[in-house]
Amino acid sequence: MTEVPLHEPWEPLALAPPRWNGTLRAVAAYVLPPTVALAIGLLSWEVWTRARDISILLVPPPSRVIDRFLDRPGFFLGEGMTTLYEALLGLALGAAVAIAAAVLMAHSRLAERALFPLAILVKVTPVVAVAPLLVIWFGFGLWPKVCVAALISFFPFLVNSITGFRSVNPGAMEFVQSLRASPLDVFLKLRAPSALPYLFAALKVSLPLSLIGAVVAEWFSGDKGLGLVIFTANYQLDTPTLFAAIAVLAVIGVSLNIGASLLERRVLFWHEAFREQG
Amino acid sequence: MPKPTWFKLLLVSLIPILVALLAACEDEEQSPATATATPTTTPQATLTPASLTFMAGFKPQANLPFVGAYVAQEKGFFQEQGLTVDIKHSRTSGEEFRFLVAGNAQITTADASVVLERRSGDPAVPVVAFALIGQTGQQGFAVLADSGIETPKDWEGKTAGYKGSKPTPDYLAILDAAGVDRSKIQEVRVGFEPQVLTEKKVDVLAVFLSNEPDTLGRLGYQVRTFDPADYGVPTLGLTYATSESYLQEHPDIVQRFLKAALKGIYYAKENPDEAIDIVLRYAPGEDREHQRFMFETELAAALAGDAQENGIGWMTAQQWQALYDMLQRYQALSGPLADLSAAYSDQALRNIYTNGQLQWP
Repeated sequence: MTEVPLHEPWEPLALAPPRWNGTLRAVAAYVLPPTVALAIGLLSWEVWTRARDISILLVPPPSRVIDRFLDRPGFFLGEGMTTLYEALLGLALGAAVAIAAAVLMAHSRLAERALFPLAILVKVTPVVAVAPLLVIWFGFGLWPKVCVAALISFFPFLVNSITGFRSVNPGAMEFVQSLRASPLDVFLKLRAPSALPYLFAALKVSLPLSLIGAVVAEWFSGDKGLGLVIFTANYQLDTPTLFAAIAVLAVIGVSLNIGASLLERRVLFWHEAFREQG
Repeated sequence: MPKPTWFKLLLVSLIPILVALLAACEDEEQSPATATATPTTTPQATLTPASLTFMAGFKPQANLPFVGAYVAQEKGFFQEQGLTVDIKHSRTSGEEFRFLVAGNAQITTADASVVLERRSGDPAVPVVAFALIGQTGQQGFAVLADSGIETPKDWEGKTAGYKGSKPTPDYLAILDAAGVDRSKIQEVRVGFEPQVLTEKKVDVLAVFLSNEPDTLGRLGYQVRTFDPADYGVPTLGLTYATSESYLQEHPDIVQRFLKAALKGIYYAKENPDEAIDIVLRYAPGEDREHQRFMFETELAAALAGDAQENGIGWMTAQQWQALYDMLQRYQALSGPLADLSAAYSDQALRNIYTNGQLQWP
């Protein structure tokens, strides 16, 4: 019997990757609208705090926040990098465990029935409750923060991965099975590509969540990171520093999301959602 | 300083009557000025009704300033002072100050060092302490009793856990006082779980003296505590505090609040079981014995120093200056205060105490 390649009508390799001008358009499409909206929001905020003479202890005007950031940009960015590092490690760990569990669950309803309630247990457990315990279990180093970020990233990856691995085109599946493809081939050639859009959706949900996880974990231990900056500034009612740290965190989160979206466009250029956009 | 009010003038006019009443007292052996005496009763004056929100600086529990407010509320002392008091509790660090600034709360509790730290902050928080309930600081340091650590000098080569964002000035002060080489101690930031000590993640743990030592004991771990005050460190504890603007605009209400809350503390001192019952109404689910430990520890701290003679809550410029100097020395303040005396006001205390006796009502 002749070996038939497992190509689908929508096979990704059949299409050329997007041109760079398309990428630039995508950057403009993603960056410009929020930038304009942010500028309008900040201006309104500045006018409001000045017009109403709002105490800086309650709401600082954006100009004071910017001043505070510009006083020590290296400090804020350094702390931000610490948090980003912890968040990305946690995201990688959470995603890896979730995808492994999803592979198992996607192939076995029994495994899903056994494991999914445990996953929900992880999901509903407040990280602020377990973060102090993780410090006791894993010490004061990197691991408690990575674990919290992993815990909070886990569930979106799990749910999306299960759905993705199962959302295989039935016709394609029948075709592949008619070729007596091995389970590994079915997974690599069908299930994994089918799951990619779902995994990117999970990535975009989990990226900011992992940052939040790292920040929460930093409240409980460690001597670096935006979480500690926020914790200290909140305690000291230092609202300009508090908002500057939040702004840095927001910039990191938005940057990560834009990066994920651009990566998604490049990886899933064959997907109909991006083909339509050109 | 608060401006005189009609109420204060009335009070001043009553002092000669009070003195005459005291002189006529038959019990000549009674000390004229002891903090343990029951508040003296004077004729009731007409009081303008007022409402305020008291926000305790932490969750409901038997911190002594909280107890004073709870008891004053439940025994009607606030009501006798013409006050309707809404008691609330801060859930996050610093929340109580934001409520003060926003005008959503009028009176709170704050550690004396925190009052100075907030006033020196950028932006500065215009908070004023008007009674010093804890004559010594809340924080100490605990080690496991079987750890072999007998003195602060033994901390060298060990791991010390601190709360907050950096080691506290009283920690640094106790190291200096005991001649400890700080470079030989590994310092790690920890949360609020005392298990880090029992699990030996740290050897020395910063604790609230009225809280964690008892908690650890209940977990079956005997601990040895180190109180910075025992090493000559000029720490101070919890205060009643308000905003500068509220104190300036409503000194009479602040005074009436303080009088009722202090009467509540004295009542609790004389009736500890009933006081703990009252605490548990505000803190259902808390362990009774633990609350009792907290109450008794803080009461002992409240009756120390100048408060022994002048009454609970008493404070002096010397105490604040010593605390300020210590905080400055260990760089706990964002900068020097232009006017340290603006951080506290003893006017209400002076108005409501006579020779160490709380005047009531």
